[in-house]
Amino acid sequence: VNETYWRSLAQREDSPESRAFLEREFQGGASELPEGITRRGMMKLMGASLSLAGLVGCRRPVEEIVPFVTAPEELVPGIPRSYATTMPFGRSAYGLIVESHEGRPTKIEGNPSHPSTLGASSARVQASVLGLYDPDRSQTVRLNGEAASWDEFVTAWGELSQAHAANGGSGLAVLSESFSSPTMARLASEFRARYPEALWATYEALSDENRLAGVRSATGRDLDLVLRLDEANVILALDADPLLTDPETIRNARGFAAGRRAGPAGGAMNRLYAVEGVYSLTGAMADHRLRLESRQIAPFLVALAARVAPTEAGAAALAGGDVPDVDPRWIDALAEDLLANRGSGVIVAGERQPPAVHAAVCALNTYLGNTGTTVNYYETTDAALPNVGSLASLVSAMQGGAVETLVVLGGNPVFDAPADLDFVAAMAQVPHSIALGHAVDETSSQAEWHIPRAHYLEGWGDARAVGGALSVVQPMIQPLFGGRTPVEVLGLMATAAPVAPVDPVAVAAVAPVEPVAPEGPEAPAAPIDPVAPVVPVVPVAGPDRPGYDIVRDTWRPILGDDDFETQWNRVLHDGLLADSELPEVVPELTGEPLAELARSIGAAGESPDGLEIVFLPSPSVHDGRFANDGWLQELPDPLTKLTWDNPALVSPTTAESLGLTGGDVVRLDYAGRSMELPVWLLPGMSDGVVALTVGYGRSHAGRVGSGVGFNAFAVRGSQALGFDSGASLTRLERTYPLSATQEHGSMEGRPIVRESTLTALRSHTDAEDGEGAAATEHPEGVTTPLGVFAEEPHLFSLFEEQAYDQGHQWGMTIDLNSCIGCNACMVACQSENNVPVVGKTQVANGREMHWIRLDRYFSGEPSGNPEVVFQPVPCMHCEDAPCEQVCPVAATVHDAEGLNVMVYNRCIGTRYCSNNCPYKVRRFNFFNYTKDTPDTLQLAMNPDVTVRSRGVMEKCTYCTQRINREKIDARLGGRELVDGDIKTACQQACPASAIEFGDILDASSGVARAKADPRNYSLLGELNTKPRTTYLAKVRNPNPAIEAAQADAEASHAGEEGRGSLA
Amino acid sequence: MISRRRHLRALALTLASVVFLTGCARGCTSSRPPIHINPSMDNQPKVRPQTASNFFYDGASMRAPVPGTVAIGELREDTAFFTGQEADGQFITEIPVTVDEALLERGAQRYEIYCQPCHDARGDGRGILFQRGSVPTASFHDEQYLAYPDGQIFDVITNGLGLMSGYRWPITPEDRWAIVSYVRQLQREQLARAANAPPGIN
Repeated sequence: VNETYWRSLAQREDSPESRAFLEREFQGGASELPEGITRRGMMKLMGASLSLAGLVGCRRPVEEIVPFVTAPEELVPGIPRSYATTMPFGRSAYGLIVESHEGRPTKIEGNPSHPSTLGASSARVQASVLGLYDPDRSQTVRLNGEAASWDEFVTAWGELSQAHAANGGSGLAVLSESFSSPTMARLASEFRARYPEALWATYEALSDENRLAGVRSATGRDLDLVLRLDEANVILALDADPLLTDPETIRNARGFAAGRRAGPAGGAMNRLYAVEGVYSLTGAMADHRLRLESRQIAPFLVALAARVAPTEAGAAALAGGDVPDVDPRWIDALAEDLLANRGSGVIVAGERQPPAVHAAVCALNTYLGNTGTTVNYYETTDAALPNVGSLASLVSAMQGGAVETLVVLGGNPVFDAPADLDFVAAMAQVPHSIALGHAVDETSSQAEWHIPRAHYLEGWGDARAVGGALSVVQPMIQPLFGGRTPVEVLGLMATAAPVAPVDPVAVAAVAPVEPVAPEGPEAPAAPIDPVAPVVPVVPVAGPDRPGYDIVRDTWRPILGDDDFETQWNRVLHDGLLADSELPEVVPELTGEPLAELARSIGAAGESPDGLEIVFLPSPSVHDGRFANDGWLQELPDPLTKLTWDNPALVSPTTAESLGLTGGDVVRLDYAGRSMELPVWLLPGMSDGVVALTVGYGRSHAGRVGSGVGFNAFAVRGSQALGFDSGASLTRLERTYPLSATQEHGSMEGRPIVRESTLTALRSHTDAEDGEGAAATEHPEGVTTPLGVFAEEPHLFSLFEEQAYDQGHQWGMTIDLNSCIGCNACMVACQSENNVPVVGKTQVANGREMHWIRLDRYFSGEPSGNPEVVFQPVPCMHCEDAPCEQVCPVAATVHDAEGLNVMVYNRCIGTRYCSNNCPYKVRRFNFFNYTKDTPDTLQLAMNPDVTVRSRGVMEKCTYCTQRINREKIDARLGGRELVDGDIKTACQQACPASAIEFGDILDASSGVARAKADPRNYSLLGELNTKPRTTYLAKVRNPNPAIEAAQADAEASHAGEEGRGSLA
Repeated sequence: MISRRRHLRALALTLASVVFLTGCARGCTSSRPPIHINPSMDNQPKVRPQTASNFFYDGASMRAPVPGTVAIGELREDTAFFTGQEADGQFITEIPVTVDEALLERGAQRYEIYCQPCHDARGDGRGILFQRGSVPTASFHDEQYLAYPDGQIFDVITNGLGLMSGYRWPITPEDRWAIVSYVRQLQREQLARAANAPPGIN
């Protein structure tokens, strides 16, 4: 495969700006302060302040030792402990292991025994620890914006609830996020029993509502589905992104990568087909990707069904079976592949597709025998299912004045409710509103009462993962700001007022744990006594009980009364209740979903005018709830590589026809609403599509997230939450600066990423096996046809070479075949290694600090359907490291175990090393990014890693602190280190298991075995830097039938424009 | 000679500037912390063990675990081993680990560190604290302590008794059992001595 890879359109066109960016190691103005103060000006200022202040400020700070008064038994200062807990995310639940340093959670990993994470994590999960320490979180209960106390709220609620209880709850309404939690479900039903007339709405801005509705119409039941991608040989993703934006991303990525890795190892390799309009991560991993607008998915599915569905499924109704602009041979080949892999194929449709598509997919999966093997259905137990219709009826009740009291139980409807419902105006009609929120967000700032919400790491709760696994949300720390969990708030509201003062003995029996000492800065002023009802003056609202007791009440019947404590502790310890997964359901199909889908297409009629508008979930901030998380804001989007923004995405051809270039500001008009935002060109998108990423443009997110990006919810209507037609873009004569990382550190067209196909790989390895590896010789300079097995060039070294054959020698491999480009490693590294956030302007200057970056290469025509390869690039830890040779102060040196180490204290900031690094993996602290770190964010830092200061170079250390901790532990335990003891942060987080790390001298280690793979290659190996980090080439598994059709089409359509065909 | 004078002048100038810069020449005492010109990342915006905190109300950066939580590896289902009690609250009568020479040796070493200052090397309660501070300390050789089951001795080490504070934090359960075994050894030695000693001497 002789491909030309490119990272950005500008680079491909070799534009002067792009060239200039590449050729300057450090961008212009590197020595300038951001406010425009020159270095010279700075020196003047410094001189003045030095002489004025003398050296009084230069005294060593006085430090105090503050030990525990009553030391907990197992806590040894300096030795981190781990806890199992659960992160609820919509109806998903991620089982986690959280590292706690002296009672402060600092690092999150997946729980290997939990089915939703299987030991891995995602960028969002990793970044959630920063959300705990967010200094902009709300710190107090508020009444009309003024600080109030929880007790005042309890009293106020008591009065409200009495009035509502008197008339059965009419006039009372709850707007909840969707959840899946036994305790919340119990409380919700108790709440309904107490207030039978109350309204209950469940709304999620980004939900799987359509999928649920589709499965409901196909089977008559509310069912969740779990994909077993590891069992699948053929995967068809229809406008779907199961690998990134689906809530079950971790488990999907694990399964997909397992099927991917099997190929080069000699097993069956899965084949992924993606049909989509906007380039998604799943599309990027696809062996075959078809560009098709979202509205064309239904016709495509009908065409496919006509080929694969049996006659009794009403295939007659599906006659025709062609999609405009799609080569029927593509669909033929796909249908053949699906039929050949009955029971081991899977079709998945995206959440933005209408219910009819999901119903048809459900039916097709059943006809193909995939239901029960690769697609498993489970009951939606203990769940609040999202329903935008319930929000609409709530809003009309609010507008009609029928709602006296509105309880917003989490969520941010003022920001993310559909624009046509006008939730803000409706909320203004409600006399009493109560909003639970992490921050005083858009909704809370309009509510009468605001209650600070406890983070999942600081409050008790429980969750049922998709598929049924039950687990407890175990707190790691007392609420930092006195927040309350939804369990506690709903518990207060659902419980009836006690008729008599509570018997203190009874309360003590329920709450064996001592009253929890309040924490947080203002805590002494507002004591939060969880067993307040003991006091004879009982608030009217009834027992305001701690979440711990409420959750345990739910679990008592689950675990059984005898032996409850033992069982309960085991659940807390393991992170889930063993064997709590629900039995799989094999649903019966009702009706004829395929025929109905065909009819719905017929009814839809001709394709409408205007651009198709598509609403995308943000891989970083989701629906905006993570907007104040700097790690996620600075995380480059996997495909566009943009940070801190969400421009409208269009294809290069569409942009050309509209006269747009990247960064132009446009006015988007759609359904009578409009917004102004910049555009960005994303190759590989369908033409005639404009994609908006939601979740940005928050106004009350906090100091990080407020005012970042543009609020796409402002144009999204309740009738088309996923996609719609009829949008138009008008160019305004303005541009807007966007910060993308894709041009940073280009590698100038050398063989950086290598890829092959499964057939080529097989034939090559077979040939090698036949005649011996040494027999394949190639003249110098000629690469083999594969490009993967390029011969080693003649190497010589300028330096005295070290043997590195003693002790442990650490090395790493990164399998490009498994890597899905999801960015989990980047955030894991940031969390583990205290990597600072630098902000949008600094990213534009090329000063992002990520120690591991994810390069995204396109190959192919930008106006067509280019392919994508991802490549994570950390420090290569070269044995003959060019950086070490040029450091004048020996601040970067090699250690005996092959690590290229940085001695921060020695570094004087010459940046020679970065200049000399061929991989551009060194990061320089141009400013003191961590100087003004708020007190709370300091708690999030890993105490085992230096927080670097200004003027210091830094880079990947192979997580040297983890290596040393394991070495110490092994030595104390009197044992040898074994493979797998040490996991780097990126390796542990990777949901695709693409990263191996270990001792390369140990032939049995995973990394040594990976390095023996014929796909193994060194990045720029011809430089003889001997990198310790090597790569395994990517392998694609194309369908020969489509390849043939493609070659055929290219031959016959040479010179013609084949929009949306096989290009 | 000129060069030597120049040298001397340079030296004097250097010394003077050192005195000026540091505010003090060597040997000068000050109650203030030392001058620290190059901060060199000595003080980082992160939280190290046992440090003070501006954020938490009690000024400590170390937080006690939330009551009721269970850390990984701390399930402690073996109540006999971790509390010295059976499930019904009765103290166990036998050490739940194998008692061998290695355990006794470990126990002796831990005893020396944690117990000897009060209880003395022979366990008669006449340690250095008793001698100098007249702290009343129990002797293991009293009838009442001889009658203690093993589990109760473990419980006393864990939770303390009377003036003695609990040692659950500094001593791991394994080491507590080692100490129990060593205390038993001390008692046996004393009994043997008493049995063999002439009347009036113990």
